[in-house]
Amino acid sequence: MPPRLLRVCNGAHRALTPPSAVRAAVTLPRRFASRSAATPDIYDVVCVGGGPAGLSLLTGLRASPLTRNLRVALVESQDLEKSKLSSDASPDSFSNRCSSLTPASVRNLQEIGAWNHVNLSRVQPYQEMQVWDGVSDARISFDWDSARPLLSPRKPTQPTTIAYMIENVNTTTALLSRLLELGHVDMYTATKVESIELGTDTEALDMGSWPIVTLSNGKSLAARLLVGADGANSPVRTFAGIASRGFDYGRHGVVASLKLEGPGWGGPDHKIAYQRFLPSGPIAMLPLPGNMATLVWSTTPERAALLKTLSSTDFIAMVNAGFRLSPTDLEYLHSISLGQSEEVDWRLEHTSVDERSLPMKLADVQPGTVASFPLRMRHADTYTGERVALVGDAAHTIHPLAGQGLNQGQGDAAALVSTICEAVRTGQDIGSTLALESYNSARYAENNAMLGVCDKLHRLYGTDSTPIVALRTLGIRAVDAMGPVKAFLMGKAAGSV
Amino acid sequence: MSTAPRLSTPVLRSLRIFSRRAVYWGQRSCYHSYEHPQPPPFPPAESAILSAALSHVPNHGFTSTALKLGAQDAGYLDVSTNLLPRGVFDLVNYHLVTQRLALRHAVQFPAEGQPGRPGVGAKVRALTLARLRANGPILHRWQEALAIMAQPSYVPASLAELARLADEIWFLAGDTTVDFNWYTKRASLSAIYSASEVYMTQDTSANYVETEQFLDTRLADVMRMGSMLSGVGQWVDYTGHSAVNVLRSKGVRI
Repeated sequence: MPPRLLRVCNGAHRALTPPSAVRAAVTLPRRFASRSAATPDIYDVVCVGGGPAGLSLLTGLRASPLTRNLRVALVESQDLEKSKLSSDASPDSFSNRCSSLTPASVRNLQEIGAWNHVNLSRVQPYQEMQVWDGVSDARISFDWDSARPLLSPRKPTQPTTIAYMIENVNTTTALLSRLLELGHVDMYTATKVESIELGTDTEALDMGSWPIVTLSNGKSLAARLLVGADGANSPVRTFAGIASRGFDYGRHGVVASLKLEGPGWGGPDHKIAYQRFLPSGPIAMLPLPGNMATLVWSTTPERAALLKTLSSTDFIAMVNAGFRLSPTDLEYLHSISLGQSEEVDWRLEHTSVDERSLPMKLADVQPGTVASFPLRMRHADTYTGERVALVGDAAHTIHPLAGQGLNQGQGDAAALVSTICEAVRTGQDIGSTLALESYNSARYAENNAMLGVCDKLHRLYGTDSTPIVALRTLGIRAVDAMGPVKAFLMGKAAGSV
Repeated sequence: MSTAPRLSTPVLRSLRIFSRRAVYWGQRSCYHSYEHPQPPPFPPAESAILSAALSHVPNHGFTSTALKLGAQDAGYLDVSTNLLPRGVFDLVNYHLVTQRLALRHAVQFPAEGQPGRPGVGAKVRALTLARLRANGPILHRWQEALAIMAQPSYVPASLAELARLADEIWFLAGDTTVDFNWYTKRASLSAIYSASEVYMTQDTSANYVETEQFLDTRLADVMRMGSMLSGVGQWVDYTGHSAVNVLRSKGVRI
């Protein structure tokens, strides 16, 4: 009878290797000298990576009454104190790494008490979004007023803000301040992860399934739950053996901090975000406080390299042209190495554009802020493993065209906090796959849908083939005319379910 | 009396063609070996008649007249052409096979490691062009050959020969990969070759420059198609995995 035989074998196996706790009770004197490595410091949660997602997770854990007694540690290779936003930063100078925080992310930051630490003078909410097709000029505008259901008046309680533009450094500084205020987090900053290995089954403790993180300062931390918030090339994900799939878009995102001629056509109280889809990739200008704005221009690596070498006058001309001139003109402008400024001036005289529907012209570009990064899409096969969870870019990398990357990370952190809370409340081991399952099930499908939508938008607008342009133009005009559909889309983008 | 041996010799030789044919097919190996020379594709007598007949094609076309003249040139009776079971198609086939086998000597590439060694794509182009040019001397009669090959009973044999040509070109170009593309590469080259061949019959430009351009455009199409297909493949692979992963995240055991 094979089944019974199997059970007998199993029993025998178990009898031969009893759980270590039992063995520890039998063999009394523990020989410390025989242990080769230093005793690992045992933590409930070790978070590798102190970016917005990792900090939000730890702050959430410390802020929740259920999880505040967990022993947590943060490992970050950069010195977080040095990269803090100084409280007297000039209002005319902004970091080129900005993100748009959705109302859902802001609500989460408020719940964990970090929003009070945000330097609000450097945060810009925007109320309208103008998106148009660079080939056919079909336009869709998003604002909560035009997105209301047919014939029903606007509710006064309805929000007017689409999202909040904020420098990433402002977000991390606020989270860090809140985390320090809450205290009881062991910070290993300016410390690299040397290796991550599974622990050993010693007589005292069975660490066989526990990840042991060895740091560059010689310390080693044992984690009941190891959280990988360590970016796209996540060492934690590699340790867990979780594959990450996707593709490189062959595009670079060019970012810069810009100063405009004025605060924008809607004045300081009605800010507008602009995005134009060009065949080489979308160009977006997002408002910052005052006359400032931030640029994200997805384009081919060659064009990105050219844009970075241009003088500030030529760069300003190119960005103005990016929102105004035809793709053919732009192609020519990218083929000359200098003198774009005169070319653009001449071409703009002969191009009729409605200035009120475009972002204001640039007055200046902040020196040293023009930078670029490659665009790719990646999605890990799963977010959880035995004693491992992934959040933020370690789990997924997204095309920046919808500005959802940071928000997805915040959503992950909030979901993981609630999963850990639930595990603590029900007395489960927070590192077990069973306890972590609900985190994966809460976030995976949602993130996958967002990744898919951005990927399809990129592909849909990455062509200038006539039938496709005609179809997408028809589609965009139809959606623009249908208030409820727009409201649904805006709701999804804002993170409300 | 004196005519009897003179008559009997060609008749006997003609009969021998048939018997040798059987022996020849029996000897033919069904595998390729670098160590052993491949046996000649046709028995000597058949080869003599057909090669002689081919020299009459420019004047008489792919016709039984050319075959008869060829048999006479080779010293056989007119009637011996009846022993070629497929008639004029055998003449066309002879041209196809000999030109295919001549390809390995017609185009020489620099040896491994030498500078200026072309890539596989360039080699395929050079070989295809060389094979097309080999049709040059009989080009004005080639449409007749195409018509014969298109006859229903000869279509399978013609297609088989086309496949062997595509295989030969990829082999000579040094392509040894045996993945799934093995099929698509041969299929696409066969399509390109036959399209270029038909185009060439209408080409009046000097040294067939226009055929060369036509071939280059078709090859570029395939390259573009290939990169597009691999992009689609990558996307399908990603989408498939993500669908499975979403189901797994929802607790489905896959």
